[in-house]
Amino acid sequence: MNEPAIDVRDLYVRFGDVEAVAGIDLSAESGQATALLGRNGAGKSTTMKVLAGVVPPTAGHVTVAGHDVATDTLAVKRAVGYCPDVGGLVPRGTPWEHLQLSAALRRMDDWEVAARDLLERFELGDVAHRVVGGFSHGMSRRLSVVLASHHEPSVLLLDEPFDGVDPIGVDATLDVIADARARGACVLLSTHLRELALEACTSAVVLRGGSRVAALQAAELSGEAYRALLD
Amino acid sequence: MLSWTDGARDTAHLLRFRARTVRRRGPAVAGFALVLALTALFATFPAHLDTTGEGQVADLLRQLIRGVEGNLPLVFTGVLMLAIGSAMSSGGGRELLSRSEAAVHPISPVTEHLGALALTPVNLAWLIQVWGLLTMTALVIAPERLVGAQIVVLAWVVAATALGQVVGWLVEGVRRTTHGVVIVRVVGGLIAVVFGLLHLAGLLRPMVDVLPTTWLVETMATDGWPLVTLLLLAVSVVAVWFGGAPAQWALSLPPREELRVESGVHEARHLPAPRSGSLELALMRRLDRGSVWRSVGMRRGLLVLGLGPGLVALVAGLQWSSVLLLPGLAASGAALLFGVNAWCLDGKGMIWRETLPIAPSTVFDARTLVLGECLAGVSGITITMALMRNGLPPLQIGVSVVLCWLVVVVQVLAISMSWSVRSPYGVDLSSPRATPAPHGAMAGYAGRLSLVTTMTGVLFAALAELPWPWVTVLVAAFFLSWSARRLVRARRRWLAPAERARIALTVAAV
Repeated sequence: MNEPAIDVRDLYVRFGDVEAVAGIDLSAESGQATALLGRNGAGKSTTMKVLAGVVPPTAGHVTVAGHDVATDTLAVKRAVGYCPDVGGLVPRGTPWEHLQLSAALRRMDDWEVAARDLLERFELGDVAHRVVGGFSHGMSRRLSVVLASHHEPSVLLLDEPFDGVDPIGVDATLDVIADARARGACVLLSTHLRELALEACTSAVVLRGGSRVAALQAAELSGEAYRALLD
Repeated sequence: MLSWTDGARDTAHLLRFRARTVRRRGPAVAGFALVLALTALFATFPAHLDTTGEGQVADLLRQLIRGVEGNLPLVFTGVLMLAIGSAMSSGGGRELLSRSEAAVHPISPVTEHLGALALTPVNLAWLIQVWGLLTMTALVIAPERLVGAQIVVLAWVVAATALGQVVGWLVEGVRRTTHGVVIVRVVGGLIAVVFGLLHLAGLLRPMVDVLPTTWLVETMATDGWPLVTLLLLAVSVVAVWFGGAPAQWALSLPPREELRVESGVHEARHLPAPRSGSLELALMRRLDRGSVWRSVGMRRGLLVLGLGPGLVALVAGLQWSSVLLLPGLAASGAALLFGVNAWCLDGKGMIWRETLPIAPSTVFDARTLVLGECLAGVSGITITMALMRNGLPPLQIGVSVVLCWLVVVVQVLAISMSWSVRSPYGVDLSSPRATPAPHGAMAGYAGRLSLVTTMTGVLFAALAELPWPWVTVLVAAFFLSWSARRLVRARRRWLAPAERARIALTVAAV
């Protein structure tokens, strides 16, 4: 049996006295999209940040694409594409500069054509060389998805990618998720929009109060069942 | 219609709100008490120095008093000029709430105006001016006349600040009109040229002598000081009241320069080809440089800090012993633009940057190098302009100047990076009025940086008098190794994943 692309066991994350994540277990397979659901403060974004190598786990064992996030963070960052829940853009850089930096650090050759295509798909082609500080919230979110996906990561982490995004951006994001799955990448999608989660994902994990309360197939996630898991 | 009652009430609310957000109350109160104590010290202590005795100290004091006596009206005028320059460069003064925070609140232009005035004293340059003016006055005014004179000095500082604020808003208003940026730059350049020509023609000094500040200085040491004080307070009140209108005008216009920069287009460039260091380091340096030079506030601030002290050295013809103090002050000022919270350059983008597959040490090194460039550049301009005026100094002084410059740059760099790692803040630096840390923290940073660099400058000025250059080299080596140790400690702290995560989450405010 193949090793899961994301394997989280008994993860704890504490910020001082605050316990943001309290013993989460989670696994996600390559070629699958998993929805990470839960109310505000359930620990979704913190878990995502641990998987992206931004926040170290306080306790527990986390591997991403076969790399331990605590000991092999650089390898994790090479394997992951991460769209943070807020911001995620250097305010005085241009989209192209963000892409160039990301590509150069990952030693990508001939990335320009694919990057241009991705920007066009997200209707950001016209602003590729404009400073992102003046971008609207929706534009910033769309660019964050572009940045997360352009290097075709083996693990794609999308934290609230639909937040404030117009229907064209939503469709483009769903396409990115489908493309990632098709090439065998593992996708973890955090969102409050159940319908979109159902559309994009095959399975779902529900968090509450920093812990996992359910892991189920997306088809089982009816409105009532989801609501019951949240409360 | 401007409502001063509501504006004043809202200003008080905002000040209370800001005061409640001060993290470390003990040091804040201690800092405030220290400022008051230093103000009292500068206002009184120099008057009690014995200038009649023998010895080097007494000679130096007599020399200092002779230099100050004729120049006090010029210094008074300088305070006004600096108040104007400060308000102009910061786009109307500091803001009580950042632009993004304030956007959702009904904050009136009067509140912005009063808030900017209230925050003026929380500023290194302003405090140094006040202390300098109080010290000079205490040196030359007879002790029995000192109280009245110092009250006039304080009233003058208040009036100059209020007048500077009026001009600051007017210039900001002009800057926000269609061709305003060009107009401000051209007019500013012309004024500088005119002043330069007047100075070269020897007309500047006679002009200063006929300014009201000469009368002010003459009268403050007489029984007429209460009248002067009342007059200055009346000027202050009128200026504060009058400033509301240009504030309303300026703030009703779109900030064109910032909007232009925020939506600026920068065509793609090839990857850097570093002559030394790694590609990763070169890439991060390029990104960080862009973050500095594409910010209106930082670009303007670095320019003013580079040219301001330099112009003083150029026009006033300062002695090398005084020039030695300038690089430290210029570097301190530059650090206060962003260096004391260096990670705030990335704003919310810090989380994305932290996902990049790059060694944390490279990220730290790049930020340190870019901050170092800014500090060295700004203080280097000051020294270059002093060189233009004074010519090449003798060997011993030259060694002291170069080593002092190096020491204060590394000193400020190490302190700034250390603070950046220890106490990060999530701030929005898109407005030139924004500061990289809360105002209370900025006051503490400013005080400590100015104290450290001034003391270092004074020490190197003293070393320059010694006949043994190797002593200066040894002292510099000690200072450099001390600062290097501090920098290494900050770097080590940054390399710890938990610390880095704390900084990233704080700066990105998530």
